[in-house]
Amino acid sequence: MSRFSKTTHHAVYRWWSRMVAMTGKELRQLSRDYLLVGAVLFLFTLDVMMAGGVKMDLNMATMMVHDADHSQASRELIYRFQPPYFKFGGEILNQKEGIELLDQGKALVVLDIPPRFQHDLIQGKPTSVQLQVDTGNTVLGTLAASYGGQIIGRYGFDIALQRMNITDAGLASVPMLADSHRVWYNPNQKDAWFMPISELLTIITVLAMMLPAAAAVREKERGTIEQLLVSPLTPTQIMLPKVVAMTLVILLGTALSLGLILRGVFDVPMKGSIPLFFAVTALYTFAMSGLGLFISTVSRNLAQATMLIIMVMMPIILLSGAWTPPEAMPPGIRQAMYLSPLYYYIEMAYGILLKGAGLKLLWDSLLGLTLIGSAVFGFGVWRFRRQFS
Amino acid sequence: MNLHRIKAIIYKEWREILRDRLFLSLAFFVPVSMMLVFGYGIKMDVENIPFAVLDQDRSAMSRDYLHLFMDSRYFDYQGDVQNERELEPLLADSKIRFAIIVPPRFQENLLSGRPAPVQSLIDGTFPFRTATSKGYVIAINNAFNGKLLAGFISKKMGLSPEQAASLVQPVKLELRYLYNQELKSIWSIAPAMMMFILMMTPPFLTALGVVREKENGSIYNIYSSTVTRAEFLIGKLLPYLGISAVNVVILWFMAAQVFGAPFKGDPLFFFLASVVYDSCTTGIGLLVSLFANTQVAAMMITVVVTIIPSVLYSGLLVPIASMDAASQFEAHLFPAMYYTDIAIGSFLKGIGMEQLWGRAGALLLYTLVLWLVSYLLFHKRVRA
Amino acid sequence: MGQTALVGDTQPVLVTPEPVVTVRDICKRYRKQIAVEGVDLTIQPGEIYGLIGPDGAGKSSLMKAIAGVLTFDRGQLEVFGERIDSEAAAERVKGRIGFMPQGLGLNLYAELSVEENIDFFAALREVPPELLAERKHKLLTMTRLENFLDRPMKQLSGGMKQKLGLICTLIHEPKLVILDEPTTGVDPVSRRDFWAILADLLRERGITALVSTAYMDEAARFHRLSLIYAGRVLAEGEPDQIRQQAPGSLIEIKVEPQIEALRRLKVKFPQTEAVGAVIRVFVAVASTEQATEQVKAVLDGLAIDDIHGIETELEDAFVALLRQRHLADEQAAANPQIPVTTAAPTPIGGEIAIEAAGLSREFGDFRAVDNVSFKVMSGEIFGLLGANGAGKTTVIKMLTGILPPSGGSGQVAGANMHSASQAIKERIGYVSQAFSLYQDMTVLENIRLYARIYAVPRKQINQRTEWVIEMAGLAGVENRLAGKLSMGIRQRLALGCALVHRPQVLFLDEPTSGVDPIGRRRFWDILMQMARVEKVAILVTTHNMGEAEHCDHLALMHAGQIITDATPEQMKLSLQRDAGELLEIVTDQPLMALQIVEQAGFEGAALFGQRIHLLAKDPEQAGRQIAALLAQKQITLLGIHPRIPSIEDVFVYRIMAREQEARSR
Repeated sequence: MSRFSKTTHHAVYRWWSRMVAMTGKELRQLSRDYLLVGAVLFLFTLDVMMAGGVKMDLNMATMMVHDADHSQASRELIYRFQPPYFKFGGEILNQKEGIELLDQGKALVVLDIPPRFQHDLIQGKPTSVQLQVDTGNTVLGTLAASYGGQIIGRYGFDIALQRMNITDAGLASVPMLADSHRVWYNPNQKDAWFMPISELLTIITVLAMMLPAAAAVREKERGTIEQLLVSPLTPTQIMLPKVVAMTLVILLGTALSLGLILRGVFDVPMKGSIPLFFAVTALYTFAMSGLGLFISTVSRNLAQATMLIIMVMMPIILLSGAWTPPEAMPPGIRQAMYLSPLYYYIEMAYGILLKGAGLKLLWDSLLGLTLIGSAVFGFGVWRFRRQFS
Repeated sequence: MNLHRIKAIIYKEWREILRDRLFLSLAFFVPVSMMLVFGYGIKMDVENIPFAVLDQDRSAMSRDYLHLFMDSRYFDYQGDVQNERELEPLLADSKIRFAIIVPPRFQENLLSGRPAPVQSLIDGTFPFRTATSKGYVIAINNAFNGKLLAGFISKKMGLSPEQAASLVQPVKLELRYLYNQELKSIWSIAPAMMMFILMMTPPFLTALGVVREKENGSIYNIYSSTVTRAEFLIGKLLPYLGISAVNVVILWFMAAQVFGAPFKGDPLFFFLASVVYDSCTTGIGLLVSLFANTQVAAMMITVVVTIIPSVLYSGLLVPIASMDAASQFEAHLFPAMYYTDIAIGSFLKGIGMEQLWGRAGALLLYTLVLWLVSYLLFHKRVRA
Repeated sequence: MGQTALVGDTQPVLVTPEPVVTVRDICKRYRKQIAVEGVDLTIQPGEIYGLIGPDGAGKSSLMKAIAGVLTFDRGQLEVFGERIDSEAAAERVKGRIGFMPQGLGLNLYAELSVEENIDFFAALREVPPELLAERKHKLLTMTRLENFLDRPMKQLSGGMKQKLGLICTLIHEPKLVILDEPTTGVDPVSRRDFWAILADLLRERGITALVSTAYMDEAARFHRLSLIYAGRVLAEGEPDQIRQQAPGSLIEIKVEPQIEALRRLKVKFPQTEAVGAVIRVFVAVASTEQATEQVKAVLDGLAIDDIHGIETELEDAFVALLRQRHLADEQAAANPQIPVTTAAPTPIGGEIAIEAAGLSREFGDFRAVDNVSFKVMSGEIFGLLGANGAGKTTVIKMLTGILPPSGGSGQVAGANMHSASQAIKERIGYVSQAFSLYQDMTVLENIRLYARIYAVPRKQINQRTEWVIEMAGLAGVENRLAGKLSMGIRQRLALGCALVHRPQVLFLDEPTSGVDPIGRRRFWDILMQMARVEKVAILVTTHNMGEAEHCDHLALMHAGQIITDATPEQMKLSLQRDAGELLEIVTDQPLMALQIVEQAGFEGAALFGQRIHLLAKDPEQAGRQIAALLAQKQITLLGIHPRIPSIEDVFVYRIMAREQEARSR
């Protein structure tokens, strides 16, 4: 072996050995910070689970009825408002009472059935019912109106068929749409898939910034950075192990969350390639750690770093589509979304976990994440190195 | 109670806040940016759903049918595909959220008096959007069906189209949207966001402010002086309460002016109720600060303690009335629910003191209990 | 709140027989950890009572309990005759107490200006505006802070923060002030200043004071004191009485070879330490002659240059008392021998290990280091002395390659600091002032981490780890978390980690602040061994003057420049040459005497407890003059002796002279 390659070999060994030692140190230190470990565990498990508790579907909405007819037909209609969407809350005597209940939030919908409702139906006269919907919460209001409309529409349709004496068998000779709906990726439309995944991705984002920033700031806070700076370690050798160690921790937490909560509790199908998901997560974590490192350079202590991370988080989430798909965003914001690394990550995460998409479909998002991520990471590294000179 | 000493503490605290630029910006920047992020970031209006069409019939009727979707403001037509296999990657890559398939012989079936199958594929990733989209599809289909049936009946029974139509649709639905006639989601999100932001930020600032003194030891100036516990707590908290009160006005302005949510209620009542709510959440921060010894611990505890009641038990996402009995009980234990009602009530429903005094009273009671407990737990002669 | 009005005047206090503070058998524990265990003490009105002990001895807990801000588990406490057994009782006396917690300026508000800080404390204590204006003026003038009224507290120097803290504590003119380690981390000049102001104020207003310190050499500042260790009182009384509780003689020897002498002496006399070129031995017999004989017997066969007895100090008594009670770090006693690496690496750079040539560094307009030059030989312990902000740390930063110099050059361990800073980093060891290893990792984990950072070959890691553990006396604590160790052991661990890769040059930045005397001695034993046997060149910065005496060579820094550069003996000699002999005057009325001496124009007169120190060119004539002056005022002169000046005397004199020069220019 020539002298040159021997020294090169030696240098590589040293570099590697230092990296391993420093990475081990970071992991060890983190494992002894019970508060932080507790927080990480809480976020990856209970917090994700709690997010699953947020159901945005209509659930047992209270319906009050002003039934001025009190007939067989009106009872039949009222009876069709059933759980899980609706629950019959009782009868009221007049419209005013209905408004009061809606004002008080004690009812979400009020159904008003006019007098002579049954009589008109039998006579074949057109009649109408009124549904008053509290749209103070638009999600619930929209759904209540939509479901209520479907119920009443179905009721009228059944009456019409009855009147025309068309039996179920006779339907085959009526020209009409036989519509069927297939919901993909989440056939039972469980909210419990969307919210926990969204929460997990947000948590990964927070921790990818928080953990390296905490590790770097702590060295400053406790003065240990001094000892490292006089050692032969380069700034890169000080910084990179933090990123690597924290990425490992986040991947571990993600695995825990995926296995224990998403699969274990919510039965998320995980259609795509899990290794691909982890690879993408690792890439994303690396990118975001750049922001964490940057924050560590401008804060004197952990409290400051945490405050700054909270501030940085806001626009990142806004522009990510974590809660709202891009097509629902106003046009200006939709363009700005291309700047948020979380946007690409969310695209890929949903793509892989729920839709079974692979690289063939996701390459553009991957490219986007790689570009934005490199820029962010590069910026963080540059600032981190610069603070020492 | 000595007003001079309270004043001294307030003045000192205020000076410190003003000169700590990070803290000051945190105090005002975070609430505002949260409002912007949530206001612009959460869109519950389901519109412009990107969709594609697979028309295997290519008849006049199929085109008529599909135009119902293309012309709807809820849907955003992305194009035609040639076969079903092309749809999957489009859905998987989120290029479309919905697809409609019209099989061959659509027109032929309908014209010859037979049912014609159609199929819709919906992306289930965002369940609320899925449910809403499905509702739109059903509504469009029903309308199309109504026309088909009316035509069929008028031909078969020899009725006029009007008669046929009323026969097919015997029960008309009159929908009345109360409080938010245009169904603008931001109108309901903005007031609810006030609840959320005022739940998160005042305790955060308060806990940080108090724990900071503990962390650097200046709390010993208070311990060793003749300032009473009540004087200290009042003097320390009033500046934070002041900040929160300013934030109430800022957020209120943003909700009304930036996001256009109408304010129909009693401004004085709403402001006072908001300040009571602030005092209440400030009290939460105070309580947290009595247990936390470092700023970081204070932040973590605050987030955990406030995020659960404000997300799950506030009525923000899940209406209280829809909860099971146990959850309803828990919701009544947290202050967030009462304020959500006050905010939505004041903004959209235009109700005031008369209907909401019970909620405001609950908040006031909550505040008194929190402050009293903190007062009893705060000692000037400590154990450690 | 009538108290503040009572002490507006400057009348001497009527000494009542009733003590201000009575402590009986107080115990305090935090969970399982005992902080104070059965302490008794009494503080009389008008006295300055000291609590001396290392970090973690329980001083702070005791003081907080007396200030009424901390509960205790057992025992009785009376303050101003009030039994403190509840929060309400504590509240009743707080109006008469001023309390300054530990930590340089930590209880002040960093964002507020000097004046705002004072005003806040005054408002808290409801000082009426007229009184406030008057007191503020007086206190600010005394502390010479009047020109910094608008400066934010965070931009003050350590000494200024300390003084501001004192003003804030005294603004309501309490009857009792409790000051927790007010001088820790403050440079000697500011420290002297601080004590002088405190003594003046207390005397003038008749205030009683309870003051704690970790510095043994401040004992002379107190009327009475308690030595505290591990939550107990080791000894109580006047400084001299305490010294007499551990009778003994201190013998100073110059002998060759020093290392062999040290080794032999340590076996027989555990309190042996090398101070630069001399060895000091504490022998537990009162007679100096007997002690000298005993020492000579041990050194039989070695070349003794010089041997004589000197006066014992409180620190010797403290260590002796600890030993008597078997509280001393047993490791230190059991393991006097420091393992020697058989094959020490040969120094690359020849004789000169560190060389600074005209080093300068500017930060903007500010010149932190100004044309600094010095040389350190291998095997030499070189001390860089100076106040905070004198530029010591900047010099070290430049030499260790963290900070590029604005001008000048330097060689460290044979490598040029401009072209080979990486090589320098591989060849040096560094111990910083605050413990800068990982507190949340165990001793072994720390050592191994640094072994790998310094790329100690894999095969040697175990061997080097064992060496470090043995050398630094860490056996038995290998698996404890570093944060759970005492300061002394922690700093030895830091030293061990700095030596794990066998550096030729060792930098130490104030390595022993906060370490108890035994721990400090142990630390210096190791340094001495490294220098003498392994020929490591050691550059140590300090503002602890006791530590400076241990160095072979000293450089005194002030405002970025080196003022003098010589051996400790030379420095003392040149002080005597330039400023005269140091005289110690003992009288029955030290305060009056000090005033008289000051008025007579003697340079650098200062009060050390009951004694006055001053410098006189012609000591005999000065002695006569002082005796006459005192006789005139009917003050009994109990004694007047020449003393060998300490490095602290040198330091204070040189710095003051420099500052005077700068002012007159």
